Amino acid sequence: MRDLQDLAAKLLTEKTVGLVIGWEAGPRGARPSFVTDPKDAGKLISDNRCVHNLAAYLSPRRPHLRGFGRIAVAVKGCDVRAVAGLLRETQLRREDVVLIGIRCGGVHDTPTGVGPLTADNLADRCVGCEVRDPARCDHVLGELPPSLPSRGGRRAARIAELEALDHAARFAFWREELSRCVRCNACRQVCPLCVCERCLADKTDPPWIESSPHPRANLAWHATRALHLAGRCVDCGECERACPAGIPLNLIGRKVAAVVERRFGYRTTDDPQVPAPIGAWKPEDGQEFIR
Amino acid sequence: MSRIGVFVCHCGENLGRTVDAAEVARASGTLPGVAHAIDYKYMCSDPGQALIKQAVAEKKLDGVVVAACSPHMHEKTFRRATAGAGVNPFLCEMANIREHCSWIHENRPAATAKAIDITRSIVEKLKRNAPLEPIRIPVERRALVIGGGIAGIQAALDIADGGREVVLVEKGPSIGGHMSQLSETFPTLDCSQCILTPRMVEVYQHPRIKLLAYSEVEAVEGYIGNFTVKIRRKARGLDETKCNGCGQCQASCPQKKIPSEFDAGLGKRSAIYVPFPQAVPNIPVIDARHCARWKGIVKGLKKLACGKCLEVCGRGAITFDLEDKFVTEKVGAVVVATGFQLYEIGRDHEADGLKGYGEYGYGKIPDVIDGLQFERLASASGPTAGKLQRPSDGKEPRTIVFLQCVGSRDPAKGIEYCSKICCMYVAKHTMLYRHKVHDGRAVVFYMDVRAGGKGYEEFVRRAIEEDGAEYIRGRVSRLERDGDVVRVQGFDTLSGEPVTIDADLVVLATAMRSQPGIETLAQKLSVSYDRHGFINEAHPKLRPVETNTAGIFVAGACQAPRDIPDSVAMASAAASKVLGLFSNAELEREPIVARVDEATCAGCFHCLRVCAYGAVERKEIRDKKGNLIKVVASVNRGVCQGCGTCQATCPGKSVELEGFTDPQIYAAINAF
Repeated sequence: MRDLQDLAAKLLTEKTVGLVIGWEAGPRGARPSFVTDPKDAGKLISDNRCVHNLAAYLSPRRPHLRGFGRIAVAVKGCDVRAVAGLLRETQLRREDVVLIGIRCGGVHDTPTGVGPLTADNLADRCVGCEVRDPARCDHVLGELPPSLPSRGGRRAARIAELEALDHAARFAFWREELSRCVRCNACRQVCPLCVCERCLADKTDPPWIESSPHPRANLAWHATRALHLAGRCVDCGECERACPAGIPLNLIGRKVAAVVERRFGYRTTDDPQVPAPIGAWKPEDGQEFIR
Repeated sequence: MSRIGVFVCHCGENLGRTVDAAEVARASGTLPGVAHAIDYKYMCSDPGQALIKQAVAEKKLDGVVVAACSPHMHEKTFRRATAGAGVNPFLCEMANIREHCSWIHENRPAATAKAIDITRSIVEKLKRNAPLEPIRIPVERRALVIGGGIAGIQAALDIADGGREVVLVEKGPSIGGHMSQLSETFPTLDCSQCILTPRMVEVYQHPRIKLLAYSEVEAVEGYIGNFTVKIRRKARGLDETKCNGCGQCQASCPQKKIPSEFDAGLGKRSAIYVPFPQAVPNIPVIDARHCARWKGIVKGLKKLACGKCLEVCGRGAITFDLEDKFVTEKVGAVVVATGFQLYEIGRDHEADGLKGYGEYGYGKIPDVIDGLQFERLASASGPTAGKLQRPSDGKEPRTIVFLQCVGSRDPAKGIEYCSKICCMYVAKHTMLYRHKVHDGRAVVFYMDVRAGGKGYEEFVRRAIEEDGAEYIRGRVSRLERDGDVVRVQGFDTLSGEPVTIDADLVVLATAMRSQPGIETLAQKLSVSYDRHGFINEAHPKLRPVETNTAGIFVAGACQAPRDIPDSVAMASAAASKVLGLFSNAELEREPIVARVDEATCAGCFHCLRVCAYGAVERKEIRDKKGNLIKVVASVNRGVCQGCGTCQATCPGKSVELEGFTDPQIYAAINAF
């Protein structure tokens, strides 16, 4: 934690960056923190409550952060994949950002989590994590903590359960889940890869997705979101965490990611040079959908 | 748009049988915004079109829906009629109630109801149509011809004679292609070089042809009318402007035992060489793989070997300049005429999935040769000066066995197509042989004889009946060397008997394949090719010399196995297409192209990555002071083919396809 504070203070003092984005302790657990004065660097934390994917603040949809010049951002290994996504889609220039990688021993389910990690409070995405040591960062801080508590993965089990249901039962499940959606758009706002200047859902001519929360519109919105993130979702789980209605949005993301991997051999990666399947074409790509 | 006219066609019985056109017209007439609706037996006929024009004038219509066949069939017809009536042609839409309705249904009331739905949907779409103006693109009226064989030569000459400049790019040191290697040509037995070399010289001397021999196309950018082509001029090691082709360097070169490509490996050449005496241009190249001095320069040796050619060259033309040079040419059209190669059956073509024919001993038994090698042996300009001598011992062969369809028509081994020319040239070979060796025996193993062409069947009959070629229907399983003969073990399928012949020479009619590297070139040009590497034509019957990329044409054996008359005909056809394209300084095309909403474009460039035509570009948006605001996608209207992939891919729906915009499609769907 000290190294993050020291590095943030140094970067700000030397005017390498105008802003450091990290985490701080708030009244309800960890929260994102924006430090512009080296004196404030002491409030930064980096521990297993730092759930948030701060790469979302690098998206050009947040132009108010541009006035600070170069930005340093603290990222876990998994968050680097979101940075890679932004680089890949020319939403960010690498030289405009200083990446402070934090070696990670897993995070809690929620930023309010306390105490050591156990198989029960570990975030789903941390199970089987392969990027605990962040790559492609300008600085990497901390010691690599001991390996994660292992667990079968509740999420994988739930996807398997859903897949076992017949079509009608599965549809009923999602209708029920999505019926709680109030269309607050938190899932969209928190997503680091939702980078459109004008969201399709906000387009009125024609109104492809109606804005009022009713079952048909909710289905249209979430289905569209899933497809727009196919091969782009970095599995940070922020949409599900931000959802006030507790809709298991990450299940959709994971299912789509599995389909993308099977069809196109693509897994989310922290390498921006690897083309995402949406704009890439390979002769061996399966074409079963047009047969 | 409030005054739409709906015109329902019966298409004779095609529509009338299952759809009640009068009812469709009546129902459409009640739609809001429809001011006029009628049905007629044949809308596309002259009176039908007159009906539209008359109604537009009388009822002051501002939009037209023709409920009839597929837009593919008659959209142009009706848009022309609409334009003739003074309404923008893109305010005319077709409701496809034939292919999409009457042809596929039997229940008349249900089909009629569906036809009404389709028509209503199109009426709603039309209400959101905008008038569009055709796109005009300036045309660079120069052509690039790739390949200097007979097809490329013919295309270049025709275009140049038509008054347009041509850049002719040839990979090898000389133009002439395979035809320059042939002895005589079927079905007239006229000397190949005698008819070809004047053409080659004509190319060289033509004021409008720029010949770039020993060059390859490196990169192609742009679109119909406006291609920019980067051409690699391979290092010849000498200054072309100084060389006068005297040939002293060749004579002085101590390396004289290099197998000559022109003589199909049967003759020898030097390291600095002109491939054949009639070469155009008559300028040597230095073979980097065999020249000792060149190799020394590449290695950076201080003391360089040889240099004999340098000493003898009176004009100081030899520079040993090893650097390839690049030139850029702007052209409006491209003719691809890269020709073919013979299937080298002696080796395994693993990359192409071809196994070769090891059982024929080609490449191991010296007296088993391919058709092109026989051409060189029979040619007066060949390594034996036209005397038939077999490669092993120079003996005149008393028995020659010819095998047809070696590699071709053999799906089990990879090539299922017919190479087309072999039946004819084998017949020619038997004649050439019998004309030189009157008492020799010429035996042909064949599957069947395909002699479709003017004078072709007569030619084969002449070989059999007048020149005594023996044709055996059957295949040969094995060729073996036995002493100084090649034992041919075959099977006569007509008599059902095995046949064994001791031949002095065996000639294999090996398959024609596409040129190596054609895939790379095709990708540079964005033209498609089949799995054998032959360039695909745009339509096998109606657009045989066009490719599916506008402005790029194809001629000769790079499209499929072709003989000389076919290649020349294709080349002239391609040239006439090019000249047609060049007949106007501007090209007019349909404005069905994509448009980016720069205000909402997020610059993710998925559209750029998915565009198959390279039509999407990056565009910088700057404020008045020149500060970069953002980079957005921008569509080059000249290149865009209107496929709509970018529109479908754009996550923020910031791309619209003119004529098929989201509001139009949404309205059309909502009308159901």
